[in-house]
Amino acid sequence: MDLGTKWKEIKVAWEPRIKEWKFMIKRMRESPLAILGLAIIIGFVIIACMAPILAPPTGPDPFILKVDTEFSVLTPQPTPPTVKHIFGTTGEQYDIYYACIWGTINAFRVGLLVVVIALIIGLILGVVAAYYGGIIDEILMRFTDIIIALPGLVLSMALVIAFPTIIPLDVTTIILVISAILSITFAAFKPERKFLLPTQIVLFASLLLYIYNPIVIGLNLSRLDKVLISLAIVGWPGYARLIRGEVLRVKNEDYIEAAKAAGSSDFRIIMKHILPNTIYPLLIVVTLDIGSIVLTAAALGFLGIGAEPNFADWGNIISRSRDWISSPDLLVKHYHTFLIPGIFITLFVLGWNLLGDALRDVLDPMIRRR
Amino acid sequence: MTSLPAYIARRLILLIFVLFGVTVLIFAITALVPVDVRAMLYVRNVQHTNPQQLMRIAEQYGLTRPLYEQYFTWIGQVLQGNLGFSKSAQQPVIQAILERWPYTFEIVLFAAPLIIFIGIYLGVQAAIHKDGIIDHATRVLSIIGWSLPSFWLGLILLSVFYGYLRWLPPGPLDPDLMNFRNTSPSFKRYTYIDLFDGLLNGRPDITLSVIKHLILPVIVIVTINVALLIRVMRSSMLEALGKPYTFAAKAKGLDDKTVIYRHARRNALIPVITLSGMLVAGMLGGLVITETVFAFGGLGQWAARAALNFDIPAVLGYAMLSAFIFVIANLIVDILYAYIDPRIRLV
Amino acid sequence: MEEDTLLEIRNLVVRFYTYAGIVEALDGVNLEIKPGEILGLVGETGCGKSVTSFSVLQLVPPPGAIEGGEIHFNKNGKIIDIRNLPKDGIRQIRGKDIAMIFQEPRAYLNPVYTVETQIGEALLTHRRSEFLKRAIETLEKRGKGSSFERKVYERMLKKPKSIVTKILTKFSRQKTLEEEIRKEVVNLLRNVEIADPERVAKMYPFELSGGMAQRVVIAMALSCYPIMLIADEPTTNLDVTVQAQILNLVRDLRKRFKSSILYITHDLGVIAELCDRVAVMYAGNVVETADVYELFESPLHPYTKALLESIPRPGQEFKSIPGTVPSLINPPKGCRFHDRCQYEMDICSKVKPKFIEVKKNHFVACHLYGGRK
Repeated sequence: MDLGTKWKEIKVAWEPRIKEWKFMIKRMRESPLAILGLAIIIGFVIIACMAPILAPPTGPDPFILKVDTEFSVLTPQPTPPTVKHIFGTTGEQYDIYYACIWGTINAFRVGLLVVVIALIIGLILGVVAAYYGGIIDEILMRFTDIIIALPGLVLSMALVIAFPTIIPLDVTTIILVISAILSITFAAFKPERKFLLPTQIVLFASLLLYIYNPIVIGLNLSRLDKVLISLAIVGWPGYARLIRGEVLRVKNEDYIEAAKAAGSSDFRIIMKHILPNTIYPLLIVVTLDIGSIVLTAAALGFLGIGAEPNFADWGNIISRSRDWISSPDLLVKHYHTFLIPGIFITLFVLGWNLLGDALRDVLDPMIRRR
Repeated sequence: MTSLPAYIARRLILLIFVLFGVTVLIFAITALVPVDVRAMLYVRNVQHTNPQQLMRIAEQYGLTRPLYEQYFTWIGQVLQGNLGFSKSAQQPVIQAILERWPYTFEIVLFAAPLIIFIGIYLGVQAAIHKDGIIDHATRVLSIIGWSLPSFWLGLILLSVFYGYLRWLPPGPLDPDLMNFRNTSPSFKRYTYIDLFDGLLNGRPDITLSVIKHLILPVIVIVTINVALLIRVMRSSMLEALGKPYTFAAKAKGLDDKTVIYRHARRNALIPVITLSGMLVAGMLGGLVITETVFAFGGLGQWAARAALNFDIPAVLGYAMLSAFIFVIANLIVDILYAYIDPRIRLV
Repeated sequence: MEEDTLLEIRNLVVRFYTYAGIVEALDGVNLEIKPGEILGLVGETGCGKSVTSFSVLQLVPPPGAIEGGEIHFNKNGKIIDIRNLPKDGIRQIRGKDIAMIFQEPRAYLNPVYTVETQIGEALLTHRRSEFLKRAIETLEKRGKGSSFERKVYERMLKKPKSIVTKILTKFSRQKTLEEEIRKEVVNLLRNVEIADPERVAKMYPFELSGGMAQRVVIAMALSCYPIMLIADEPTTNLDVTVQAQILNLVRDLRKRFKSSILYITHDLGVIAELCDRVAVMYAGNVVETADVYELFESPLHPYTKALLESIPRPGQEFKSIPGTVPSLINPPKGCRFHDRCQYEMDICSKVKPKFIEVKKNHFVACHLYGGRK
């Protein structure tokens, strides 16, 4: 088959999907809220990209806030906005403007990383549980039930303080376990031969390594890493449940039966039929979650359980304001320490929420149409 | 089996299992903490203790025993009502909970109904007038509300209404009144909830003071959480309005109001009830951020301080309590759901 | 409108404004029902049968709108212009003068209310004063003629809309009224041949079988003695034996109540069995109307002929109509059947044929028979 026909085949196969996407985009373009949300996000992306220009880094790690020594000796109090410090400084004389700019990159990092990690875990577990059903499904449901029973903030608080700073990682054991799981999974799914063989080689190799020369390394977790891991652990059950629900709905539809009758392997059915049809609701939740993860991370930072005190994190900056809650005068006088960073957080989250909400509006009738 | 009791029995069994799982999970989390850090809890003066002393203390308190042994000892204690000692509160965990629970309850008592009723009303209105002004305005406002960081909103409200205007101070109660409540022998704490005790003792000024202090925290909680309810109510209502039975109701000659409220809304409320129940359950477990900002003295604030101070028994106890409340509330919601929608009883 | 016609639809035009374009759902539909007759409305899925029936009760769902034509209803001598009724006016006709039954009965019953609640609702809406009076009578018979409850009922009769009445009804339990309603519901259920009506009355829709649910829906539709019944494919989802029972029931009821029935279906067999007259629809037009025997014996319109020929007969080759139903967003010009018609002439793709009486009481819209007059 020559390239021309192959290309045509692909085009024909994807045509209805592309049509749906185009329709989706058209609807999004018509919604002012969607455009606003997108504009806000793009605005933040620009800020993040231009951070080195907007706020020149103060050292090797730009996220570490530098103390402005000019003031620190004379004034232990936050200074209001001046020409030198556009948004003012905190009590420790950190420049708020600087923290806000670099905090943007941090926000993106936290939001995206957590969501991606939680999504991967949740997706795999959810699809496997729903597709194979039976006891695997039951186990997954109970497990997610347990995690969901604990309120998110509480659980992430507990996790953050409980995680040791140095995790001794037994690398060989981990590789062993992962390759064992993979080989069993592949054996069950029966995909193309090309996947199975390398997995088994790795499995064998790690087995040898384990017996003869185990490698243990110490993984250093910064406080921010702990926050990321905790939020991911708290977040994956939600995705698992969601995708499970969708897969269950799709699993019994006729085209799956047809694919099975035609002899498709499980792996192929999942990748080609189930995933594309179940992924839309997930898209909505993911968009909204980026905002809500950033909010939770900011809350943790506000409580003081987030990143290190001199880290450029929005919640961090506002946490100092806790000291003045009981003194009304100071609270008003130092308004700049919480007002502007808070605006950053709100706008960032707002952008994602607007986008997610518009997506939901657009995708809902599409899902209903089925 | 469409009988209600059978359904309840099934759910109870599930509940016990989940609670068991929660205890295991929480215990596993604490087991992550290195032994020496945990030993530090039992030491009054941490700086002056050297590592050997720490290890001895660790052994003494059974921290070096195998994990499953520790777990069963701990569970045994929990079932006897001993949740340990909270270092950050300087009192047994149980007592810390009992003292702080009423404050959280006061907030939820006002916030929950407001969220539910405002949410239902606005959601239904938005659905009926789809794509109209009410619909768009409600959506935009609720999205903004949902995007606000609770601590930020709290700080702003506090700085305006307290810092600037001096009207609404933080804290659960006026300090003088609180002093009176604590020290005066004539004040009987019937319910331990100041809101009610004030009236029961013939001191309505205490009740009023509580309400005054509740205004800002409740505004914060409601603003942020009402968005979710509105959204769910709206989409659920839109779905119900499009269903065949709504059409049939119209074909029967019923007026619009009846069709909307008696037929569509009744069905639309079903998922909303579930959500409301979970919301209330989550709130009862403590509103960490809001209580911290307003120094309300509830469960959430205590938990936040405990987390900061690595007060593990406190965090454990708090997590257990939250999970427990959540699971029970879920059960109640499920039963309510089964009561309203007879189809569910078959599940 | 002729004096002995019950319902007359002339040139009805309905359009749906969708994202994909404007759907010309009904393109000048002409229909007539005489009192006491069963008119079958037959056609393929999507030809506009249901939309036509919805239009009669002003129930066309958005994004659709009635944009042309006339609908006249003869209510006991008074001619009502349905399109120009005020909002409240149509509600008095719905469920009372013209009632409707649907295709999937369990979907059209509210899942959270019992059968008796839902039928009772219809009774309370349209026969309210009758039941209030019955309740008062019952109270008097029981010697409670001067009770508070009786006063509430009297007030409900005299001043139904006052605020005081509303408060009273909200906070008191109208037990006797409910009793009377319940009795009538059981009666109605018995009339549709439901065994053990007391038990069924207390059931929820999901507990009913398909046939039972359809009987319940029929009972509800007939509860207020409608002059006309619209049946939108009521037996399509039922299995054949149940279908036969329901058809028998419908026939029986027509005899007893003398109501007319607009019976919508795509099943020619049902038409042959049940209907007095038949109207054939294609792509938003009524193309032929005739007596049922006349239609089956001498069909005039090419589409009708093709339909009848396509009925599978043992021993014969399977015949289908070539082509597909056209999209109604950009419908073909002229006669909408022209591109599938074996008798197509030049004029068919240019001019739309008019709906004219070719034989006695036999109407066709086709250029083969003139259609230009």
